[in-house]
Amino acid sequence: MKVLTANSLTTGEVVFWNAGRWAVAFNDGQRFDGDEDAAGALTAAEDQPRMVVAPYLIDVEDMDGHWVPVAYRERLRALGPSNHPQHGKQADGDADVQALAAVTSSARSTGRIKLIRR
Amino acid sequence: MPSLIKLDAGSDQPRALTVQDAFVFVHDEEPIPAACDIVVTLSRLSSEGDDLLASGRRVGVRLQPSEAVEDLAYDLPRLAVVQLVFAKFRDGRPYSSARVLRERLAYQGEVRAVGDVLREQAMHMVRCGFDAFEPADGSSPEQWVAAAYRYRHVYQRAADEREPIHVERAQIASGLGHNRPDEVGA
Amino acid sequence: MYRYDDLDRQMLTDRSNEFRHQAARRLSGEITEDQFKPLRLMNGLYLQLHAYMLRVAIPFGTLSTAQLRRLAWVATTYDKGYGHFTTRTNVQLHWIKLRDAPDILDALAEVGLHAIQTSGNCIRNVTADPYAGATADEVDDPRVWAEAIREWSTVHPEFSYLPRKFKIAVTAAEKDRAAIRSYDIGLHLRRTRDGELSFEVMAGGGQGRTPYLAKTIREHLPASRLLSYLDAILRVYNRAGRRDNIHKARIKILVNSLGVEEFARQVEAEWAQIEAAEVDLPDTELARIRAAFQPQVFDPQPAVSPVFEAAKAADPEFARFARRNVHPHKVPGYAILDISLKAPGETPGDASSAQMETVADLADAYSQGEVRVNYTQNLVLPHVKLADVPAVYARLKEARLATANIDLITDIIACPGLDYCTLANARAIPVAQAIAKRFADPERAEAIGELGIKISGCINACGHHHLGAIGILGVDKKGEEYYQLSLGGSAGADAELARILGPAMSGQSIPDAIETLVETYLAHRQDGERFLDTVRRTGLQPFKEAVYAVAD
Ligand code: SF4
Repeated sequence: MKVLTANSLTTGEVVFWNAGRWAVAFNDGQRFDGDEDAAGALTAAEDQPRMVVAPYLIDVEDMDGHWVPVAYRERLRALGPSNHPQHGKQADGDADVQALAAVTSSARSTGRIKLIRR
Repeated sequence: MPSLIKLDAGSDQPRALTVQDAFVFVHDEEPIPAACDIVVTLSRLSSEGDDLLASGRRVGVRLQPSEAVEDLAYDLPRLAVVQLVFAKFRDGRPYSSARVLRERLAYQGEVRAVGDVLREQAMHMVRCGFDAFEPADGSSPEQWVAAAYRYRHVYQRAADEREPIHVERAQIASGLGHNRPDEVGA
Repeated sequence: MYRYDDLDRQMLTDRSNEFRHQAARRLSGEITEDQFKPLRLMNGLYLQLHAYMLRVAIPFGTLSTAQLRRLAWVATTYDKGYGHFTTRTNVQLHWIKLRDAPDILDALAEVGLHAIQTSGNCIRNVTADPYAGATADEVDDPRVWAEAIREWSTVHPEFSYLPRKFKIAVTAAEKDRAAIRSYDIGLHLRRTRDGELSFEVMAGGGQGRTPYLAKTIREHLPASRLLSYLDAILRVYNRAGRRDNIHKARIKILVNSLGVEEFARQVEAEWAQIEAAEVDLPDTELARIRAAFQPQVFDPQPAVSPVFEAAKAADPEFARFARRNVHPHKVPGYAILDISLKAPGETPGDASSAQMETVADLADAYSQGEVRVNYTQNLVLPHVKLADVPAVYARLKEARLATANIDLITDIIACPGLDYCTLANARAIPVAQAIAKRFADPERAEAIGELGIKISGCINACGHHHLGAIGILGVDKKGEEYYQLSLGGSAGADAELARILGPAMSGQSIPDAIETLVETYLAHRQDGERFLDTVRRTGLQPFKEAVYAVAD
């Protein structure tokens, strides 16, 4: 599965594509099953240069019932920096975010993550 | 075909005009057209330069960023235009080429920026001695001049006439004040 | 200290107006991201993982209190209330919005701060000895020359689109506190036998993928000829530096492929043809800059302060602070005071807005209104009366700024790493935090002695890992954060590049590995040796055996 992400042009905030709009939370992002749909969305996103900068697709996987980005870098983008737990999206701390954070820290020792792969 | 902008040397306010380009650039594999002003590559200038210059027309050269303006020294007084190619706007070699042309080789003819020529670099080009531009971004002469003179002060001498900030300071200190054209409209 | 005059300030206003214009054109779709990116970068605006980051220049690391307060205000108003001080003596704000950036640049310009040329392939912020003007071992104030370079390099028409970024550092003291040999150009000011000021000019230093220490290309350059000589170096580099491969584009590659003699010859040939009088500053301008750095007036003080001595005797914690963070000043009865931004558990180099305000207040009250930023990611109060040190210490302690660990194992340099940086392979900050916690006992840290740990999140080496007595480099090994250790580096007069110890290891094993390195050192240490000295004497072998025996 894939999710389409970018940074907002005006604010720089991490955003996720959902049916032509951009959502702030990772869990509100649209998940693409087929490569073709994902590629089509990417092309559409690239047509919005005044909304976002450098859209790209990331791999996501189901871990213990939660969708999470495969790459560790993408988990940090979806959460926020690990040295300031009160900064970034993790600050809102809803159930989805907490699940992602928990999976992220436990996965670190299992080696089940890709650090920077998008 | 990009339009050609030239700085207006006759004006005391910074000004530029759109002008008709009299020169035709001739690729190496193309035959030399009859009776018109032409621009050729450095290699063609080296091999056919004497004939071309003798044919009673104006001749210019187009240099790639890696080609040294010093190689033109002998022909320079007879060249009507030197075109310096910006392969990418990030490739800053033509700035050095232009300064050497103006300040060291004392070239008086047209120095033209061609290639990836953008308004955001207008000041750098003007300061380094370019006086003609083929903007790739469709800039008008007014936009070009506004960008080129957006800064009221400069910190260094270059190939243009502008005096560096320390000369202005010395003038202010000696009570002369400073004479400069006021900021040109945005 | 140098304060921008009206003309300098008009420059900054024109610059921020230009950027406002450019940002508007980007937002309206008139220019593409491709065209805009180099423009925003030249104004210090990066797009990082979570937001834009604004990198504000602190030329030669000197800040007025008004500037520091303004930084605190910007951090509170437009960011999350803190700033990150870097090894380039810049300050980075990590949560900036593009739409606020022009207003921020205006607010900074009012106090003579800016982000000009803090990124991009241009001449970057000039750095200098953080103790300039306060230390006894300098022949001149290096900031006079750094300011001359700052002006010459600002919006340079010819050298704004170089093959790659370009960094210059200046020192005028025998003890190099500016790491000048890791710079594209390092300048060491000395006096000749006739008493003339003269630069040793070094070129081709740099860290990153292929680290080099700068090599001397001219032993004696009359100081007044500095700018024309720099012009010559930059022109040779601009024309001949490689542009086909980003990893080979720095001047260090040019210097080493031509050979230092040939590079120097080309520079001399170019210099001979430059109309130096057009470039070198006239004496009047040099005198104007020099006047701005005139030594302050120091009230005469007794060389030994009873207040200071009594405080040391009464409070062992203060005594430790005095040993670690208080250094001799050129004027008797005064001290240079280092403020550590490395409290164990904190992010190295971070200061909250409130902490910045505290430091500004202290500088106004006790340090002639001056603050310095050290490339070690610490701050400096350069001119404190010894008698005032106890009062300063008390205020610092309240603000959690009195950590007595300068040059110790917990005084760790770390880049932002994967927590913020788009280029990172691995995180650097949590590694620094884990090590600092492990060695948080100040007595133990002091017993271990001088030991510089430097951590980079990728090969770009912003965390100076090549120059660490222990260098730690984050690498990506099959998707896990791994770290490669190296030993024996240093940045000072005895500059040397660290050598790789062995295979990379996981983040969790780093504190144990550091522990093992320290034990090995303590077992081998001879009289008064620093960690670095022992490593250099014994070589890597004993350390290698110890670390990898444990790991196996
Ligand atoms: S060393 Fe790498 S990870 Fe660290 S700040 Fe520099 S580029 Fe980013």
